[in-house]
Amino acid sequence: MTRTCRCLNCIIPPHLLRRLLESESREVRQAAMNTLLNSARLRGQRSLRATFGIGLSAAPTDGRRSIFDCENRARIAGAVLVQTEQGEASRDTSVTRAFEGLGTTRQFYREVLNRNSIDDRGMRLDGYVHFDTSYNNAFWDGQQMVFGDGDGVVFTDFTSSLDVIAHELAHGVTEHVAGLEYHLQSGALNESMSDVFGSLVKHWSLGQTADQADWLIGAEVFTPGVDADALRSMKAPGTAYDNDTFGKDPQPDRMSKFVQLPDTEEGDWGGVHINSGIPNKAFHLTATGIGGYAWEAPGLIWYEALRASGPTTEFQEFADRTYLMAEDLYGAGSIEQQAVQDAWRQVGIRISRTAARRRPGQRRKGDLLVGEEAGYDGGALAALSRQMETLSAQVHALSKEVSALKGDRTPSEAGGPRGRPANAKLGRLANS
Amino acid sequence: MKISLAKYGGQTAGMLLGRAPRVLEADTLPPPAAQELARLVETAKATAAATGVGLGRARDMMSYTITVEDSGHQTVLKQSDTNMSPAFRNLLGWLERHMK
Repeated sequence: MTRTCRCLNCIIPPHLLRRLLESESREVRQAAMNTLLNSARLRGQRSLRATFGIGLSAAPTDGRRSIFDCENRARIAGAVLVQTEQGEASRDTSVTRAFEGLGTTRQFYREVLNRNSIDDRGMRLDGYVHFDTSYNNAFWDGQQMVFGDGDGVVFTDFTSSLDVIAHELAHGVTEHVAGLEYHLQSGALNESMSDVFGSLVKHWSLGQTADQADWLIGAEVFTPGVDADALRSMKAPGTAYDNDTFGKDPQPDRMSKFVQLPDTEEGDWGGVHINSGIPNKAFHLTATGIGGYAWEAPGLIWYEALRASGPTTEFQEFADRTYLMAEDLYGAGSIEQQAVQDAWRQVGIRISRTAARRRPGQRRKGDLLVGEEAGYDGGALAALSRQMETLSAQVHALSKEVSALKGDRTPSEAGGPRGRPANAKLGRLANS
Repeated sequence: MKISLAKYGGQTAGMLLGRAPRVLEADTLPPPAAQELARLVETAKATAAATGVGLGRARDMMSYTITVEDSGHQTVLKQSDTNMSPAFRNLLGWLERHMK
């Protein structure tokens, strides 16, 4: 994937921008600085608006949410619009959960990955609930997200699970970022990306570290009494369920257990939902190896590797990209890079020699990042950048203190997080 | 007439993998129900033409295979959540209700 400086305006996360401040190119340094200044200004404005109640009634302009009720018909044409950013809150819990879930996910991409909705251009987020009768599924139809109510016997409403909502939205992101073909290994990577970012949205909303998180996908979609932990387990693929109703979870956790399936609908297009267990496990191992919040270094490495991927990227290529990206972001031989390498090794994928032999700072064709050994005069700019980050953090802390003094108040945006403690509360309420 | 229904894919793909199709014998149904089923099958067959299952841009969609065996002839109908004809949808819905 070729990137150019045009991207600086919108899609480069702050940590990459800081690296770009050290570029040997004056043009790149200037563009990065302009973007950082604009981002800091916008973050400050958002923070102050949220804290002091400025514009609370105004809906966000990007990634606007609309929820439609299919009224238990198996088509989205003719579904009824039941909740928007401006309208009254619905009393339908499925509608509310979908609306809040999309809001939380939108906020995650915006705040953590500096991404503006699915297409990074503020694409509308349309969710359809009550699809069909007894429909045990949720899917992304290429434009919007669709959720079934479940049969009420084994499965309940698929909006019950935030990671399932975020999983579907992530399919849209992957489509726009890499277009991973939905079959065989690229399809399994596609599914894994949705599990990874679906899971990260949940971690982020609950404020959980990698060690605290359950790493389960769809733990909430079963009716009480059903003997199953979840649809999938990223921590221990192959153990999410094992009973007479569902059989045993067929997900492998390493390449030696890779499941060969036909590239047909009967074979789940080569097992896209099955072999995703392998990269899922690699991400979990990376996150626990690095420690802390999985949406930070591990999530950024995976996101940047996804952005560097293409439609036919397979496990080996993706593993190499995560390794190289960890080096670009955190340095050769860093804890992060070692954790990435070790994680893939544990699932049976060794980083290829070409990737492992890259010299620190060596440029790769198509990369925007440049080496640290390059001569540059970015020290002052980098220092200014750090000062801006510090100032931004101070504003954020001040905002939180003011919020605490004001006590709990109605959030301005039904689904968006308003700080992690509040998110955790919302998450529990949504699942209760 | 014997009809079988198999589902694939979606969030529960792992649970559906390798599961045997559900089967319904029309002879065991009360006459009105059997007649309604025969009508739904004929309509679905007649409109099955150009649809079928394709990948497209949809993700996590489910696909369905309905196999009809009648007087030595077998007809296989395949469709998915995102390209389903009304006739197939009606037949699928009827089968889901009667195969519980």
